[in-house]
Amino acid sequence: MTKPYTRQELIVIAVARQIQDGDNCLLGIGLPTVAGAVAKHNHAPDARLMMESGIVGFDPLVPPMHIADACCTEGYSYAIDLFGMFTSIAGCGFLDKAVLGVAQIDRYGNLNSTYRISETGERQRITGSGGAPEFISYARETILTLKGGEFVNELPYLSSPGYLNGGNDRDSRGHYPHGSGPSILITPNAFFGFAPDTRELVLHALAPGVPFEKVRSQIPWDLKVANELETFPVPTDQELDFLRCFSPRSCFTNTVADELTISGTFEKMAKRQAFLDRCRAASQK
Amino acid sequence: MEPRKESKVMTAAEAVSRFVHDSDTLVIGNYTEGSPLALIFEVIRQKKRGLTLFSQSGNIDAEFLVAGDCVDRMFSAFVTKWGGRSGGSMIERYRMAGKLQIEDYTNFTYNAMLTAGAAGYSYMPVLPAIMDTDVFKERGFMGDNKFGVTTCPFTGKTIPVVPAANPDICLLHVQRADKYGNAQHWGGLGSTVQACLASKQIIVSCEEIVDHDVVRSSPHHTIVPDFRVDAVVKEPWGAHPMELPGYYSTDLDMLGIIGYFISQENGFQELIKEWIFNLPDRASYIQHYIELFGKPILDAYKARPYYSAPTNYGIGTRSLWDENGRNISMSVNLEEMDKLIVEKGDLVND
Repeated sequence: MTKPYTRQELIVIAVARQIQDGDNCLLGIGLPTVAGAVAKHNHAPDARLMMESGIVGFDPLVPPMHIADACCTEGYSYAIDLFGMFTSIAGCGFLDKAVLGVAQIDRYGNLNSTYRISETGERQRITGSGGAPEFISYARETILTLKGGEFVNELPYLSSPGYLNGGNDRDSRGHYPHGSGPSILITPNAFFGFAPDTRELVLHALAPGVPFEKVRSQIPWDLKVANELETFPVPTDQELDFLRCFSPRSCFTNTVADELTISGTFEKMAKRQAFLDRCRAASQK
Repeated sequence: MEPRKESKVMTAAEAVSRFVHDSDTLVIGNYTEGSPLALIFEVIRQKKRGLTLFSQSGNIDAEFLVAGDCVDRMFSAFVTKWGGRSGGSMIERYRMAGKLQIEDYTNFTYNAMLTAGAAGYSYMPVLPAIMDTDVFKERGFMGDNKFGVTTCPFTGKTIPVVPAANPDICLLHVQRADKYGNAQHWGGLGSTVQACLASKQIIVSCEEIVDHDVVRSSPHHTIVPDFRVDAVVKEPWGAHPMELPGYYSTDLDMLGIIGYFISQENGFQELIKEWIFNLPDRASYIQHYIELFGKPILDAYKARPYYSAPTNYGIGTRSLWDENGRNISMSVNLEEMDKLIVEKGDLVND
């Protein structure tokens, strides 16, 4: 019997299980890097973890703050620059897996991380495309994670190509490595794949305690379901112990983690509290 | 052997005043890590206006410059929304208010513009899949010049290209430099080298100024050579609250506070007043930090050493003359050499 675990821990470990020993694996910031660390310290000690700033073969002691955070690791095996990372490693076919977070996704695994449209019809910046467009294009395989993101019928902006219009559209363009593209999407509620023929999103497994209706209600098209649902991967105590030690905030929702972090920081230093009070007062003027 | 060159060491105030001008195109040289915040704060303090900013990752460095009213246009691949999903960022607020235009690239295509600029090329091929995205299709202030398309003369394939970028000024923070400007950096390389070499002028700030011999014994760490650098500024904690390998980790507490105030628009202006305008330089910024929060908090972020294995640049043949003063190939000494020159040389003044 596994110790109690949270939905946030469940998804980190499900993503970690997708990283195999020996993989050349590019990690986006946030959940992917945490999952990479879990994999490296459990089942995939020889996975070669990479960040797009050109930090290759790193073994994080703490979660990286951003994709050039060389202070998350004591040393690493290869220092290449960003141009080389995208050309000599990804473009030349040496990237086995990319693990990327998703803000918006459509049924064919195309992604938007640039702008969403607000309720009043204005464009709101999400973040920007970063490195995702070229990684999802040139990695042999891409694992997607969706935590706070959403499923949409039509992307207001296509930042990163999945299977484009589905079917063999991606392969027919002539500039993607054969067989590349998003293979798996993991959310706190479910585990999805992409149909080999239509390349449409298919539900493969429901997370423990999640009814099918909940998953379907979040998807604005008629969701395809695999003939037989698989079992969602469940964390082991060993994985949980490592994760909790490595990245305590990954065990909570962002809202709770932010609350705990802010109160932790402010409690630590009464003087900071005084400073904050002054700024708060100023911001309410 | 000290080279006979002039020292370029000066204060941040002097460097920014001399080399950063209104309406310049300015590139943040560091790729998030080791962000040149001491120099950026000085740009804000000197109220530079109308800048076009190259900011690849839209970190707090870009948030400060935009909220300091320094920037009109920005080349971007990413905006780190420190204020959270709903809180947004100063960059987003300025964009929404029509005070900032953004041209979107990807990390790779942003870098490729600088790589072309650094190489002296007019354009650079990029990976073709970009043509299927709205990053390629949608054009902002770059218009038709955002991307182009050409044909490979050897394969006949269609290749998307980006134009070269050559910013007027690059701000760079590094671990160490000599007084002539040889700048040494290690850690996440990102687009740092290209951003420097593409730029017309470069201001380097550094944690330490070291003897030229230190540079000579470790040329693999020199990312930009002295003859390209215009100013060297010694700024300990010059990237704080961001991190720099070998010196300090990210100050999570300070960053948390900045993030909190990025989510509260007016609070951020208060932060700028207190930490930039009310203080003359980085030394007083650190002093202010210590007075407010205490030295132990700052010291807790200091790096514990983890040294690179020493690199042996030693050589076998240090002279063409052996210990007896004889040439190792011709087996003569210098006296015999003089005779041989008269005897066998193609003499001019015979």
